Amino acid sequence: MSTSTITTQKVNFKVFRFNADEDYLPYYEDYSMDVTSEEVVLDILNRIKWDHDGSFSYRRSCRHGICGACAIKVNGRSTLACKESMSTMIEYFGNELTIEPLSTKRAVKDMIIDKADFWDKHESVNPYLVADIDEAPTCENLVSLHEAEELNEADLCIQCGACHYACPVTEVNEDFFGPAAFAAAYRFESDIRDSDTDRLKAVNEEKQGVWDCVKCYECAEVCPKEINPIEKITKLHQMSFTSGIAKSNVATRHAVGFKNSIEKHGVLDEGQLVLYSEGPGIVKHIPVALKMFKKGKIIMPWNMPKSDNLDEIQKLVKSSSTAKF
Amino acid sequence: MSIPIYTYDAIIVGSGLAGCAAARELQNAGKKVAVITKLHPLRSHSGAAQGGVNAAFSDEDSVELHEYDTVKGSDYLADQDAVEFLCKNAPETIRWAERMGAAFSRTADGKIAQRPFGGQSSPRACYAKDRTGLTLLQTIYEQAYRVGVKFWDEWYVADLIYKDGKVSGVIAFNIRDMHMAIFNAKSVMFATGGYARSFKINSNAHANTGDGLSIVARHGLPLEDMEFVQFHPSGLSGNGVLISEAARGEGGKLFNSEGERFMERYAPNALELASHDVVSRAILNEIREGRGVGPRKDAVFIDVTHLGKDLIMERLPELRELAITFLGLDMIKEPILISATAHYSMGGIPVNIAGNVRKNNTEYVEGFYAAGECACVSVHGANRLGANSVLEALLFGRYVGKTMVEEIDSIELRPASVDDVQTTLDEINFILNNNGDETIPGLREELQQCMTANAGAFRTKETLEIAVAKVKELRARFKNIRIKDKSKVFNTELQEAIEFGHMVDYSAFIVESAIARNESRGAHFREDFDTRDDENFLKHTMGYMDKDGEISLDYMDVVLGKHELKARTY
Repeated sequence: MSTSTITTQKVNFKVFRFNADEDYLPYYEDYSMDVTSEEVVLDILNRIKWDHDGSFSYRRSCRHGICGACAIKVNGRSTLACKESMSTMIEYFGNELTIEPLSTKRAVKDMIIDKADFWDKHESVNPYLVADIDEAPTCENLVSLHEAEELNEADLCIQCGACHYACPVTEVNEDFFGPAAFAAAYRFESDIRDSDTDRLKAVNEEKQGVWDCVKCYECAEVCPKEINPIEKITKLHQMSFTSGIAKSNVATRHAVGFKNSIEKHGVLDEGQLVLYSEGPGIVKHIPVALKMFKKGKIIMPWNMPKSDNLDEIQKLVKSSSTAKF
Repeated sequence: MSIPIYTYDAIIVGSGLAGCAAARELQNAGKKVAVITKLHPLRSHSGAAQGGVNAAFSDEDSVELHEYDTVKGSDYLADQDAVEFLCKNAPETIRWAERMGAAFSRTADGKIAQRPFGGQSSPRACYAKDRTGLTLLQTIYEQAYRVGVKFWDEWYVADLIYKDGKVSGVIAFNIRDMHMAIFNAKSVMFATGGYARSFKINSNAHANTGDGLSIVARHGLPLEDMEFVQFHPSGLSGNGVLISEAARGEGGKLFNSEGERFMERYAPNALELASHDVVSRAILNEIREGRGVGPRKDAVFIDVTHLGKDLIMERLPELRELAITFLGLDMIKEPILISATAHYSMGGIPVNIAGNVRKNNTEYVEGFYAAGECACVSVHGANRLGANSVLEALLFGRYVGKTMVEEIDSIELRPASVDDVQTTLDEINFILNNNGDETIPGLREELQQCMTANAGAFRTKETLEIAVAKVKELRARFKNIRIKDKSKVFNTELQEAIEFGHMVDYSAFIVESAIARNESRGAHFREDFDTRDDENFLKHTMGYMDKDGEISLDYMDVVLGKHELKARTY
């Protein structure tokens, strides 16, 4: 929009409708509207409700991107309705837009989903500062600028759930805490004032913890506050090694095997990496290994090249590594 | 139909800073407490506060200066004993929030950082980047949750059980399925937030429909100083979303359509940093006289381009983001469009410093408390000082929680009966079954338009008479509504109808209180009485509503103190 004009264009909306009280199956309703360049997605939800169908329901409150209530999906992409300009949506997807809840299988009424799993996972990471609270302090904790920066904006997460319901792992693994819960775990683990001892262990457990992340970066992609949850997951990986609570499993050994290879050769030895990560389980990879061998991807140990200045690399690895296995 | 009765020592309605702080005190004292909220607690509007929270703890500052700025800001309508309590306990309260985990910005030596704010003698606003409310809300909720407070989220409180001068619980329903319950308790606290939502252009969340105020008023209990609504100078053009005072604090300049820096005419010394009410009226006057800008000519420019990209990205990143989202304008490259927006409610449920709700000028209601924006202590008087609202909510929320702990054992639980739900049942049945031809969005639009046009930053007897008539008309037309949604699952249409009923009721207090106050004080500006009149109006308005919605007014003395009455200039 310029300062002097508001532009308008026609947009067709296909809107997910479902009322758990009345409908056996969900359906889609079509609405066609003239949309102005000033509007955000929430304005469209409001217009559907106020001008077309009063029963249309969605969560919303603050209307400027800080309360986290109104996350939905537009053309399959998670977004915060009050903070997403319609111009952007039209630019991305054209004039045919499909509006759906964050998770259609959890839909209760139109855009409203049952978020119980989201909050359960959130609560699993002790999402609060663990400290003895002085109820009448005469001074504050001193926190250096550097220590304060360690939170890396994790405290800006507004629990909207956009990443949780965009994560492919939460979709198939019901134990997985999900990116938002990990961001919350990181927010407190990175806080110098926190003294919790269980949280990092919980996020290190297999199935539920950070090692089951598949690193697809979808969470970083959809986050309306640019929290970058995958970055927090990676930091939790590092914290688990630093604190010595990382357990030996395929995922952690993958990380350690990577380090071992660099330490030995200065470059990645893919065959050895898989062998180290998987151990005896590697036999199941024999067909793939044979194909890799044919393509020259697996190099025999005696043929493995060494990096120049390998001693320098080894010094770096030694000074930075915290792995115990 | 069987309606469950849940029994508690204390019920808190609302889960923002005030509600969570009170609940934590009660839980820590071993009381059985629950918080009921129509949202999830983390969606509460306290989280939207941007700029900061005041505490006088720097070497150059003092509690007395904080008091003085607050009293002066209030245009001398604040009660000075309450202001003293607020300012005295502010440093401890902020440090307590820090100890619980609030992620404040820091100074180079690791202390809580403070920034200057309008109307303040010293940099006093502790802040967490430009999201101070968010970290405080998260922190107090987290710590209330940590100690085991029970939260009933997405439950709507529809009525208060009030009989014979005593409150003994609330009636609520589960928004998920419409199941109703009686929450029977020895004590109840309202922390239900503000009421600026009755204006078309406002900075408030959709949820800020002032439910608590109207629920109280319908029982014949008073509301105090309802005419005082703060209009913030910088809301985004069109939707009123707040652009924090930081934009002007950092050096933003205001221009009209003629390219004139018009504040030179209105406040030659303070310019853009004059107080909220002065700048708001200046902006609206420019627009009214035809010097507005933007596609609707309903805004002025605020220009921060001279600050440069680096400074804007460092200090105003969220504000820049908001302008890009809502206006498509990048404040690094161009000026953006702003105008005054209804922002904060100074009036509310009258309470004393301990949080006891007043039944009238001299008596209190047993077992009933209020804190935060819905309450009127009064620490803000006619105009709130910037960065005092978050402080009030957190501090009084906590101390009222302590009052409740002290008083709870001397209160006898009055058992609830099924009859207590009758009013709520009647209200819901009426909304669900009435077959008229008015719609809630239509009526609400008329109310909001009328309030902004006639009871906004400029008021006269004539405009207020229009508003009074309109509110009465809308109350009558409300009886002729029809809603489409008859289902029991997340019936948000029903909820909006109940909320609209509340908006009409408290709006009547705003306009009736305003029309009777023949003076200009703080945020209440009467063009037909454009000066402060201490002789006749240095007093709090106490409004009462009868069964037919008629408002009658009484007045209550202001508690004066060491800060003597002066003309208010900046």
